[in-house]
Amino acid sequence: MEALRQLVFSLQQAGYLPEMFQYAFLTNALVAALIIGPLLGALGPLVVVKRLAFFSEAVGHGALTGVALGILLGEPATQPFAALFTFCLLFALLLHWIRSRTQVPYDALVGVFLSFAIALGAALLLYVAKKVNVHILENVLFGSILTVRDADLLVMAVIAATCVLLMLTGGNRALISSLAPDLAKVRGINVRLYDYVFVLLIALVTVASVKIVGAILVGALLLIPATAARLISRTGREFFWYSVVFATISCLLGILLPMAGALPIPSGAAIVLIASAGFLLALLVRRWRSLA
Amino acid sequence: MGPDIEMDQLSLQLNGVTILPPITARLKAGQLHVITGPNGAGKSSLMKALLGLLPHSGDIRRHWPGKPGKVAYVPQQTAFEPSLPVTVQEFLLSSLNRRAFFGRRRKQDLQRVAELLQQVGMEGKEHLRLGQLSGGERQRLLFAQALEQQALFWCLDEPMTGLDQQAQEIITAAIQQLRQQGATLLVIQHDPAWTEQHADCIWKVEDGLRRSA
Repeated sequence: MEALRQLVFSLQQAGYLPEMFQYAFLTNALVAALIIGPLLGALGPLVVVKRLAFFSEAVGHGALTGVALGILLGEPATQPFAALFTFCLLFALLLHWIRSRTQVPYDALVGVFLSFAIALGAALLLYVAKKVNVHILENVLFGSILTVRDADLLVMAVIAATCVLLMLTGGNRALISSLAPDLAKVRGINVRLYDYVFVLLIALVTVASVKIVGAILVGALLLIPATAARLISRTGREFFWYSVVFATISCLLGILLPMAGALPIPSGAAIVLIASAGFLLALLVRRWRSLA
Repeated sequence: MGPDIEMDQLSLQLNGVTILPPITARLKAGQLHVITGPNGAGKSSLMKALLGLLPHSGDIRRHWPGKPGKVAYVPQQTAFEPSLPVTVQEFLLSSLNRRAFFGRRRKQDLQRVAELLQQVGMEGKEHLRLGQLSGGERQRLLFAQALEQQALFWCLDEPMTGLDQQAQEIITAAIQQLRQQGATLLVIQHDPAWTEQHADCIWKVEDGLRRSA
């Protein structure tokens, strides 16, 4: 990473890049965006097909509690990865497990978990706020480009590699399991296993995205690029790749535009605002196509 | 050759209500078994139980003459979300290639998809989205994906529903060919004329399962 930072710095000094590239933290944030953007974009279509947008949102909010627990248990306030991952995973698994053993409508069940996650997270974070700088908590909630360190990038890269491996080996079957679960079961696909692997992926991606996107907005970035892609895609392949491109562009612009305009906006908020603008654009493209 | 299917005291309950009282029967291998019965009698539930899709009590045994073969299922009236951008070609490719949605497409897979569609009279419809298909086309697509499995035990839940005359003839011919190849076929069917003409064995579901011919 140091070599990359030096290279970017040299290019900036030589006048090839704008002034803002003199800051090493921007290079780190852009690398993080290039890891997280495609990852969120690739997972998004599955979230949309499985109708698990609300579920992803709930797991993202579970991250609030995970962060607070990590700090309480003595993890570094800027990198409470162990508690974050453990809590998100347990939260997601518990929600999924209860879903398969109750007749409560799924959206109502997720609503209960979502409310619980927010309430517990808020209670613990306010308690923790006495012990740590409140800006650290703000960064966790809404993301920040200032706090991405090499260790964070390493965690993101490992998570991204794991997710890519799982998607390459099982993504296709996971999609078939979502489209036609009975057919998948008869064909010998372990639909339940794929569901649980998906839950694992959501927990992993939430952990990887917290630094840049923030706990509150991770779910939005799983949903918005994929929904926009769905509006303008004619095939499943387009759906997948457009979602990847939308999410990546949103992450990159969400970091670059506030820097370029010197706007004090958290990166997560900027990323989701740009993704939302992309969604509106996709709506217009679809409308224009239907009129053409 | 397909398997013999043995049901031993098989019964189905849903939320404490008995859908099917205990059944003991044996479906002979390599035959076309048609299940008839009134709506709500439990025909589809029985088929799902035989496929392992519904919990049941009692035993279901598949007696394969050799190595167990594949199982194919054509469900009744499967609906796909209209706005979902997944094409007919991608749906069939997903049976052939593990990376149908984001990997490279092999020429032989695309050819196989075209062959499968031709077999069910849907040639040239590769690029239609699943949500754009009529009920009859959906049935034929599901039949095509089942054909790809080269299965020896087939469960077809009202496969003629929504099909026009020509499509019915195509699917009937395919079913006959499967029987000639030795597959065991289980078909839920309401049309008495079709049943009379094609079934080797007719079973009626009504307060249990009994053989009617």
